[in-house]
Amino acid sequence: MTARPSTAPVPGRKGLFDANRLFVAACVGIPALGLLLFFVQPVAIVFLRSITEPDGSYGLGNYHRILEGARFWRVTGQSLVMTLITTAISVGAGFVIALALYRGHFRGKWFVRGAILLPLLAPSLMQSLGLIFLLGRNGIVSRILGTEIEIYGLWGLVIANTLYALPQAVMIIGAALVLLDARVYEAADVMGARPFRQFRDLTLPAAKYGILSAIFVVFTITITDFGNAAVIGGNYTVLATEIYRQVVGRQNFNLGAVVGIMLLLPTVLAYFIERQASRKSRGQKAAGILPYVPKYSPLRDIPLAAFSFVVSGFVVLVMAVVVYASFVTLWPYDLSLSLKNYAIDIAGGYDSLWITIWISLWAAAVGTVFVFALGVGLRHAPAWIAQPLQVLAAMPAAVPGLVLGLAYIMAFNSLSNPFNFLYGTATLIIAVNFYHYHTQAFLTLQTGFRQFPETLEEAGASLGANLGRLSRDVVLPFMAPMLVSVLLFLFMRSMVTISAVVFLSTPSVSVASFQILRLEDSGRTSQAAAFSTALMGVVILALLLLTLLNRVIASHHRAG
Amino acid sequence: MTKSTSLLAGVALSTLVVTPGFADEITVYTAYEEDEIAAYVAGAEAAIPGLKINVLRLSTGDLAARIIAEAGNPQADMLWGQAITATMDPQILDQLEPYAPAGIEALDARYRDPENRWFAPTGYMGTFCVNTDRLAEKGLPMPKSWKDLENPAFKGEIEMPDPTSSGTGWLHIISLLQGPEGEEAGWAQLERVDPNMTQYTQSGSKPCKDARAGEVTIGISLGITGVQSVEQGYPVVTVFPEEGAGYELEAAALFKSSKNKEDVKKFMDWLLTPEAVKIYEQYKILITAPGAALSDPAKKAGVPEDLGSILAGIDFTQAAADRDRIGDEWLDKFGR
Repeated sequence: MTARPSTAPVPGRKGLFDANRLFVAACVGIPALGLLLFFVQPVAIVFLRSITEPDGSYGLGNYHRILEGARFWRVTGQSLVMTLITTAISVGAGFVIALALYRGHFRGKWFVRGAILLPLLAPSLMQSLGLIFLLGRNGIVSRILGTEIEIYGLWGLVIANTLYALPQAVMIIGAALVLLDARVYEAADVMGARPFRQFRDLTLPAAKYGILSAIFVVFTITITDFGNAAVIGGNYTVLATEIYRQVVGRQNFNLGAVVGIMLLLPTVLAYFIERQASRKSRGQKAAGILPYVPKYSPLRDIPLAAFSFVVSGFVVLVMAVVVYASFVTLWPYDLSLSLKNYAIDIAGGYDSLWITIWISLWAAAVGTVFVFALGVGLRHAPAWIAQPLQVLAAMPAAVPGLVLGLAYIMAFNSLSNPFNFLYGTATLIIAVNFYHYHTQAFLTLQTGFRQFPETLEEAGASLGANLGRLSRDVVLPFMAPMLVSVLLFLFMRSMVTISAVVFLSTPSVSVASFQILRLEDSGRTSQAAAFSTALMGVVILALLLLTLLNRVIASHHRAG
Repeated sequence: MTKSTSLLAGVALSTLVVTPGFADEITVYTAYEEDEIAAYVAGAEAAIPGLKINVLRLSTGDLAARIIAEAGNPQADMLWGQAITATMDPQILDQLEPYAPAGIEALDARYRDPENRWFAPTGYMGTFCVNTDRLAEKGLPMPKSWKDLENPAFKGEIEMPDPTSSGTGWLHIISLLQGPEGEEAGWAQLERVDPNMTQYTQSGSKPCKDARAGEVTIGISLGITGVQSVEQGYPVVTVFPEEGAGYELEAAALFKSSKNKEDVKKFMDWLLTPEAVKIYEQYKILITAPGAALSDPAKKAGVPEDLGSILAGIDFTQAAADRDRIGDEWLDKFGR
C-alpha cells in the first residue's frame, strides 16, 4: 500500500489538472490536519513529559531510570510473549473464520457474523465478568468439573485479549477476501486447479495484505491493553500495567510517559516489517469484479463451519452468562430471577445512553468520511507526503487509552491551545473515540483499496472524468462493504469504550461507559452488568437499524 | 435540511458551546462514594440557598491523575473526599489555597493541615473481606489478624491490592510499616504473608469483589466495599486486623484557581456542621469531625464503640515523605 503515483496518474487534461490537485489536497489535507491536531499533538506532549527531569529541565534521565531496571525488561518480555501468543491465535482463528464467511458455503453465517462482533459492542466489563463467571475458580466450568481452574495469569489474559482481537482480525482479513473476483476462481476451475491449489495460489496471496495488517493491529491493541490485564492477568504484569502503576498509582507522569513512548517502538517496528512484507505482494488487478459465490464443498465447508460455530458459540456463552447474571438476584448465590439490578440507583440513571448514541454516530460518520478521503487522497499524493502519513495513520492504536486520555487533557485544557474551547465538550469525546480507533479503520480501508482494480480508475480518467467524480461513482461503490464495516466498527467502539473517555468526562458531559465504571467502582457489580446488558441491547438495536437503512438505501440506489 | 440532519447539527453546535457557569455553581471533584455524594450534596444544597454543586466522581487514583493533568488550567473549584496520601503529592498540594472553615479548631490537629490547605472531616478504612462460604468449604479458620494470614492453609486464598497502584494497598501496608514494632517488623510481616498471596491487584476494591464472588477466600480491601457486600447479601464478613486497621483521611480543599471561592467556602464550612455530621453517620465508618456517634455502617461492620481502639496509628506526613522509597522497596520485594 505504498503510494503509487506512477500507476495511478492524475488525468492529463490541463483544465482538470488543477481541480484534481485541489481534490487530492483536500482529501489528504483535512484528515492529515485531524491527525496532527488529535494524535500528533497529544503524543508530542507525552514525549515532552518523558524527557522532563524532576527539576523541569529536559534530559534522558527518565529513560535511564526505567531502562536500567531489570523489572522493565522482564515485564517487556512478558508483554511480548503474551502479545505474540495472542496475535498468533487471533489472526489464525480470524483467518479461518474470515475464510468461512467469504469462501465457505454453509447455513447460519449470520450467527457467526453476529457472535464474532459481540466483544466489540460489549463494554469490556461484560467480557471480563463473563470469563470469570464461566472459567473462574468459582465459575460454572470449575463447578461442573469439581475442580478449580486457574484462569488468572498468562492464559486468562490470552483468552480475554483474543476475544477482543478476533473480530478486528476478521474485519480486516475479510476486507481482503470479500472482493475476490469470481471469474478468477471459475478460470481456475476450468483449468482443473485443485481446491488446495486455488487456496494457495489465489486466496492466500489475495489475503496476504489483510493478514499482515491484522497481525499488526492485533499486536498493537494487545500490547497496549490494560483492562484485561487488570481483571484477569493475575500476577502476569505487562507494560500497560506498568504505565498504570506509574501514572495512577504513583502519580509520576514522566516515568509513565517513558513507558508509553517505549510502547510505540515495537509497534512502529511491527508496522515497518509489515510494510516490507506486504510490498512484495500485490492484489489482483482484474478490471471489474464479479462477486465470488462459493459452492458447497463438504471437505472444505464442514471443518470451516465447525470451527466458526465453536468459536462463536464460546463468545456467545461468555456474554450470555453475564446477561443471565444481570437478571438473577445475586450471582452466584441466589439464582432466582429478578429485575432489581435494572433499577439503576446512582445519579444519572440511564440518561447517558442517548448522548452516547449521538456521540458514537458522529464519531462513526466523521471517522468513516475522513479515512475514506485519506485513502483516496493517498493513492494520488506524492510519496514524500503519502509515506509518512501512512505510518502516522496506522499508529494511534499504539497509544494506550489511559495515555491518550491524559494527553488529551494536557493538550486541550491548555489555555495556549487555540482549540482549548473543545475541552469539556462532547466534540472532544467524539474526536478521542475516532482517533483511538483510527488504525483499525484506516487499515481496513487500505486493505480494501488494495483490491481495487486500477484499470477501472484509469479507464474513467481516460474518458475525462475528474478524480472527484471517479471517487464518487467508481471508488465509493466498490469500497461500500468496507466502508460499512468501518462505520459500524467505529460506532460500536464509541458506544462502549472507556479507557480514554474516563478522563474527558465532566459533570455535564458523561457517556454510558462512564456510568458503568461508576457502578462498578461503587461495588454495584450486578447493576453494572445490567447497565452493560442494556447498553449492548441498544447497540445491537442501532446496528440492526443501520443495516436496515443501508439495505433500503442500496435497493433505492439500484431502483433509481 | 431534514429533521434528523438538523437535529444532528444541533447536537454538534450545542456540544461546541461551553455553558457559562452560574454565579453560585461550583464544580467539585471527588472520590467519595456515589450514595454518600448524593446525600451530602442534597444536604448542603438544602442548607445553603442558591448553591448548586456539580460533581465529578472518579476513583482516587484516576482523580489524582486528572488533577495533575489539568494543572495548567484547573477546572475544578474544590477537591473533596480525596485520599490524603494522594492530596499530599506536591503536584496537587501546590494547587490548593489555605482556608480555615468555621469550626476547624474543634477538629483534631491530626485531621487537618497546619497551613490549612486541607482538612478531613471523614476517612475510610481498610478491612479483610472474608467469604464465609468458601472459608467453610475449605475448612479454614476465620482470620483475625495479619499474623493469622501467615497460616500456610491460606496459600492461594488471599488477594490484596498492589500498594504502588492502589491507595487501598498503600493504606494497608503503611499501617504495618508504621506499626509499634517499627518498619523492619512491618516488612517482615508482609514477607511472611506474601507466599499465600494469589495476586496483587491494580484496584483497591477488586480483592473484596473477588472474595464475595468466591474466587478467593480473603480479599484485603476497603471497608465500604465489605459493608456493601454484606448489605447486598453476599456471604461476606468484614474483619479489622488486630494489629490495627489501616485508614485514609478524606480531604476537602479549595483550589487556588477557583473563580467562585465564596461559595466553595460556604460549602466547606457546612462540611463541619452538626447537620453534615448527622449525614456522615449514615454512611461513614470513620468520622473525624467532632460530635459524631458510632455510625450505622460502623455497627454493621462490627466496629467497637471506641473506634480509636482498632485504628492503626498513622502519621500521614511521614507516610507522604516515605512514599517513593517504600513504593520502590515494595516493588523490589514483592513486585511481580
